[in-house]
Amino acid sequence: MTMALDSQPELTDSALLARYARGDAAAAQVLTVRLVPRVMAQAYKMLGDRAEAEDVAQEALVRLWRIAPDWREGEAQVTTWLYRVVANLCTDRLRKRKRAAVPLDDVADPADPGPSVETRMQDAARRDALRAALATLPERQRLAVMLRHFDGATNPEIAERLGVSVEAVESLTARGKRALAKVLKGRVAALGYEG
Amino acid sequence: MTRSGPPQDRDAAWLDALLDDVGRTPPPAVSDDLMARVMADAVAALPAPGGAPAPVPIWRQVVEGLGGWSAIGGLVAATVTGFAVGLGALDTAGADAIWSLGSEMSLDSEAGLNAYGWDLEES
Repeated sequence: MTMALDSQPELTDSALLARYARGDAAAAQVLTVRLVPRVMAQAYKMLGDRAEAEDVAQEALVRLWRIAPDWREGEAQVTTWLYRVVANLCTDRLRKRKRAAVPLDDVADPADPGPSVETRMQDAARRDALRAALATLPERQRLAVMLRHFDGATNPEIAERLGVSVEAVESLTARGKRALAKVLKGRVAALGYEG
Repeated sequence: MTRSGPPQDRDAAWLDALLDDVGRTPPPAVSDDLMARVMADAVAALPAPGGAPAPVPIWRQVVEGLGGWSAIGGLVAATVTGFAVGLGALDTAGADAIWSLGSEMSLDSEAGLNAYGWDLEES
């Protein structure tokens, strides 16, 4: 199935959702084309697993379809609402995740002479440790850190999306990163950083 | 392999690097299968045609009727200012002003009784 490009670029996400709530299936198709790639990208960064990210993306969109009849235009941005839903769904999965260590022999050799297997495993372990640490943060700290580092958002942009002041964003980000450093500190040497 | 970078909280450059590394993770291409699953969900949950949009709550109508949150803020500021000015006036006149109001009310009350003729009936 090949989806068409965004055929209604002049309509906002909220307007399309209102059309969907009135029974317009075509609006759902435009929203799907528009939103699924960004939802998928966010979920994949948080989880590092394609199948899990796809499940989260599907679940997040299911929640959007269900809330459509109750959506009030102007109260919130659809993308902001979705970002939060995806972050929470991913956090739930990260907290439940108990990934067994992958034996070194099970990691396939790279096709090209790139980084060694050991290096790639250490990089993967590092990313997984960060993702698990992110799941331990309070929601707003986690969102602030993610918006800054994963989405490259500025403080004013983060403030607008979280509905807080710029000063609060600075505080949330700083506290979030301090907490992350604290959680990861015990694993610094194991993750290949000099202690 | 080890990478340089002290773990101290005061110098968490390694943490920034790690966050940026995960942030740069290239997302996989969205599969047609996922798009099909999402659209199937959308069709399954599609509301009946002509559904009414969600009603706007009363509090929001009131706020918008008054000119939005900025107008509400102005009203609150004006109220607080008026209250503060009132307190200042009382402070200037002193507590006697309050008691004098009370004694006037008491006189009025007695006058009222007289007007209804209670004292005439009792005498």
